[in-house]
Amino acid sequence: MATELSDYSELGAEELRRRLEEAEETLRAIREGEVDALIVRNPRSGDEVFTLEGDASYYAFMEAMDLGAAAFDEANRLLYANKALRELLRLPDDEVDASHLSNALDEEARLRVSTLMRDARIAKQNTEIQVSAGGEELYLLVTAAPLHVGAVKGLAVTFTDITAKVRAAAAEASERAAHSIIASANEAVVVCDADGVITHANAAVSAICAENPIGRAFADVIPLTLPETTGLLQARDIIALAVAGTSVQGIEALAPEAPRVRDLLLSAAPLRVGSDKVIGCVITMVDLSQRKAAEKQQLLLMGELDHRVKNTLALVLSISKRTSSTEDTVQGFQTAFSGRIQALAATHNLLADRSWASISIAEVVNAELDPFVTRALSRLTVDGLDVQIMPRAAIALGLVIHELATNAVKYGALSRDTGHVEVVVGRKPEDAFLTVDWVESGGPTVSQPTRRGFGQTVITRSLQYSQNGGAEIDYHPQGVRCRIRIPEEDLVRG
Amino acid sequence: MQDQTNVTEPSEPLKLVLYVAGQTPKSVAAINNLERICSEKMPGKYIVEVVDLKKTPQLAREHNIVAIPTLVRQLPTPIRKIIGDLSDIEKVLVHLKVGE
Repeated sequence: MATELSDYSELGAEELRRRLEEAEETLRAIREGEVDALIVRNPRSGDEVFTLEGDASYYAFMEAMDLGAAAFDEANRLLYANKALRELLRLPDDEVDASHLSNALDEEARLRVSTLMRDARIAKQNTEIQVSAGGEELYLLVTAAPLHVGAVKGLAVTFTDITAKVRAAAAEASERAAHSIIASANEAVVVCDADGVITHANAAVSAICAENPIGRAFADVIPLTLPETTGLLQARDIIALAVAGTSVQGIEALAPEAPRVRDLLLSAAPLRVGSDKVIGCVITMVDLSQRKAAEKQQLLLMGELDHRVKNTLALVLSISKRTSSTEDTVQGFQTAFSGRIQALAATHNLLADRSWASISIAEVVNAELDPFVTRALSRLTVDGLDVQIMPRAAIALGLVIHELATNAVKYGALSRDTGHVEVVVGRKPEDAFLTVDWVESGGPTVSQPTRRGFGQTVITRSLQYSQNGGAEIDYHPQGVRCRIRIPEEDLVRG
Repeated sequence: MQDQTNVTEPSEPLKLVLYVAGQTPKSVAAINNLERICSEKMPGKYIVEVVDLKKTPQLAREHNIVAIPTLVRQLPTPIRKIIGDLSDIEKVLVHLKVGE
């Protein structure tokens, strides 16, 4: 038993010695070129045979590889760098060592590679670095894996140029960004190829073109007329200009068949990708509907203003002429004329405050009676005056109320403390007008005037611009009565 | 030594395994050299198996082969390895202990 144990342990020592000899023999055989193939242990894909036929073929294979490859020994000394790597990093062809490789990298890349090589002693690692070689920025994928050739525990490091891949990814990201910019734009944006066929269109285009425009010729799917170019230039020509490299900006266009937006501001620019090559054009169409509507509103207002100024001047001239023919003294003229102009101005002010929109009868009446109100307040009854009327009716009503009030203060109900004025608004369903009745009472006995003054003319004529409008004055002995008819077209429905 | 006694036993033939890698020059040379040694120096006393590791690289594990060509004396034990193309006949014979 003891002998057997002794033999066994002696055999173990013998085995160890034999293995050491074998390792030494293997190294010697490799060193002296007695072998022409090696088994490389690859934990991932199993063992592989590398043949070193002759002296040159394996070497030639490494040199012919596209992939940059380098081998390092245990002390990180560079044993070999293939031709692809030497060219990639501009390393010298002869006697290349680790310092050449180190110098080819910037500080960050150097740190990354040295960390990679340290970790790769245990297992395969990879990292990406950026290097500047020959004035060009390159992106490299660096992979390092343990390389066990016989007793040598080295590292195999490969450098793969992934610049094209990185740039493609960047281009893809940039294209995605461009897509989202187009998609997010408020304006309608259409991209056409060199033949004028639409390749991209954002959501805003649906306001101009009801069907899907992709794959169809722009000029066919979005027919435009360009009124400002007097027919000489057509949408087709604008696209042709843009594809030829000329930008066209801000042309007003009409899209007669558009579902929603018909007034457009059209611009087209050449689409250049990468180099200066034009591969199509980008067309933007800005919605001009609101601007056109605003322009129309502005034109309308200018016309209206012109009309009103002329009307007002004519009215002032008429007031002046009529007042001078009815007043006997300069002072009388001055008082009557300025009173009437003030009445006109009061209504104007009210209308201006409302931007010449509608105004209530109460506001007109109050404005005209304002100069007399302190005396008239207790003796004035108003009823149902909150009806809104249009500006032309307001001006006429203002002048009529002014004349009636002036007359009442001078000769009628408001000339005595006992007098009273009632203003009542009424409307019968069958009438095409609204009535405003002015009823005086408690004043001196009224008699028919001997001559027709301007006041009477104003009262009877002011609202006659419409066949539904007008005013009749009745010199009733107990007090003046006036029925004013405001035509229904000047009433604001509310 | 026990193994030496076994080797000299005339009744027990040598079992040899030659590991090659396809038709590499040293693989071909090793095959030719082994054939010559076997026929000239030890006729009838051997069984030879040739393993092509290009076809079956996994077999390299059995004898822990690193360099090719390698000749392994599998029997008698202990295993012995001779690396190279076997052109040095004397060295091969010494390693195989043939003729002792």
